[in-house]
Amino acid sequence: MEAYIFNLVNLIAIYAILAVTLNFIMGYAGIYSLAHAVFFGLGAYTSAWVAQNVHPSILLTIPAAMMAAAALSLLLALPALRVRGEYFVAASLGLQVLAVTIFSEWKSFTGGIGGVLAIPPANVFGIEVFKPAHFAILSVVALVIVMALINALVHSSFGRNLRAIHDSESAAASFGKNVPMIKTISVVISAALAAVAGALYASYLSFINVESFTLDASVLVMAMVIIGGTGTVAGPIVGAALLMLLPSLISWFDFLPQTEIGALQQIIYGLGMTLLMIFRPGGIVGRRAKA
Amino acid sequence: MNMTASANDAPLMQIRNLDKSFGGVKAVDDVSMDLRAGIVTTLVGPNGAGKTTFFNLITGNLTRDGGQVTWLGRDTAGMKPYRIARAGVGRTYQDLRLFDGMTVWENVLNATEHGAFPVPISRAHRIARRERIERVLERTCLADKRNTRAIDLAYAERKFLSMARIMATEAKLWLLDEPASGLDPNSYERFLAILREDVAEGVTVCIIEHNLDIVIGISDRIAFLDRGRLLADGDPHTVMNDPELAKIYFGDRE
Ligand SMILES: Nc1ncnc2c1ncn2[C@@H]1O[C@H](COP(=O)(O)OP(=O)(O)OP(=O)(O)O)[C@@H](O)[C@H]1O
Ligand SMILES: [Mg+2]
Repeated sequence: MEAYIFNLVNLIAIYAILAVTLNFIMGYAGIYSLAHAVFFGLGAYTSAWVAQNVHPSILLTIPAAMMAAAALSLLLALPALRVRGEYFVAASLGLQVLAVTIFSEWKSFTGGIGGVLAIPPANVFGIEVFKPAHFAILSVVALVIVMALINALVHSSFGRNLRAIHDSESAAASFGKNVPMIKTISVVISAALAAVAGALYASYLSFINVESFTLDASVLVMAMVIIGGTGTVAGPIVGAALLMLLPSLISWFDFLPQTEIGALQQIIYGLGMTLLMIFRPGGIVGRRAKA
Repeated sequence: MNMTASANDAPLMQIRNLDKSFGGVKAVDDVSMDLRAGIVTTLVGPNGAGKTTFFNLITGNLTRDGGQVTWLGRDTAGMKPYRIARAGVGRTYQDLRLFDGMTVWENVLNATEHGAFPVPISRAHRIARRERIERVLERTCLADKRNTRAIDLAYAERKFLSMARIMATEAKLWLLDEPASGLDPNSYERFLAILREDVAEGVTVCIIEHNLDIVIGISDRIAFLDRGRLLADGDPHTVMNDPELAKIYFGDRE
């Protein structure tokens, strides 16, 4: 039972990192990405590779994961953000589809469909973190650090520039802001921090495959942000917790058809999101719609 | 009126044979103009004359079809709007384009923040910047509204916030697109006072304005635009007393 709860804590913290980092670009810069799972995945594979071939210290695995994701996101953002914002959604969707193919085919790095097995546990200053209860400390600390970083950014001139761009790109440019550059940097920061979640995920599960990094995962993270409340601090965490708890809640109610858990989950969160957008478009934590 | 700028000074901005068409419509048609330091130029003309388009060409918001614009002696061809802005050309928008989700204070503060990276600034610099913003908010009567989001302001307050943003910058040239339209008499007196003070401090202004009282009260020079063409450019009284222009302006052309 204890392991079960800490397992949930870990998964919620990892997905919350994804939701918080996606919210950073969605909520403040108005950039919608359907490729967040790509950076999650690239972070996981990179960290797994480093752990197996170099050393499982998180001082190596996490920075390597971040750098790989930052580099890839730069390739996406540089061309995509020079054109109008709407194209970014399309470009990110393209990257997501492409990445799933590469994740499934690049056997030497990703293990193909079978995935990477026997990833060494996270090594924190020489201590191996095995147990879910111990890993929970690591994942929650990582979440807190990521949130603190993003919070500091949002309240700096960088965050104001993002919000200014969100409100009016042309006015922002008229006040000397290099709009494509600022947007690109925000995407790179978001991707690099999403890779932290990937690195944690790989060492926590010790097994990863492409299933976790598909378009479904990108959509799930976006749903977490929207349901929780785009552009709010607590929203993405609430959204992540809610959607990660959903399967457990369903299995709790044994009158529900347990064999159809996947379909049931889709129906609940699809319906929930639709109703929420009608009655509370700002999300659970978000401001009510202005009259 | 500022009479210190002699006719021999090199103009801050030199505009030559500027052209822009949208489809078949010539929005700006072979316009040439010099903007000289300390001179207040008012751009008048009927709706659709091409005044806003003229600003958009100067600031790089639109690319020109032909012609040349030099700023401080440098050709601005191919320069992005943010580069032209950093070089000292400031502007406001006819539809304001405030940062609606941000407070009054953040709007004005952010108008001064160029860099993509948050660089640590010195305490002295931070204090100087705060004082500068305080002063701008006082002059625009927005000090009490500093924590109000731009979207929640009243009409006149929004117009003044648009002014406050440009006042906080270091821009040498202000291009103001109908900054006083729709203001009540008290507000535009205040607006005129602000403009006079900043002009006295060395800002050069080019302003688009329909209100003839404002035009006469502040301008050193009036440029009259109609259907993209510059029909007249000179002393305010001469231009405003031209019966042909008055006909076009008041819309009773045949
Ligand atoms: N982006 C655009 N695309 C197509 N046509 C445009 C565009 N911008 C302006 N025009 C056209 O160019 C002409 C000049 O418009 P502009 O907005 O410059 O006039 P204006 O003098 O500022 O008028 P107003 O006093 O109404 O603000 C108009 O016929 C307008 O419809
Ligand atoms: Mg106009």
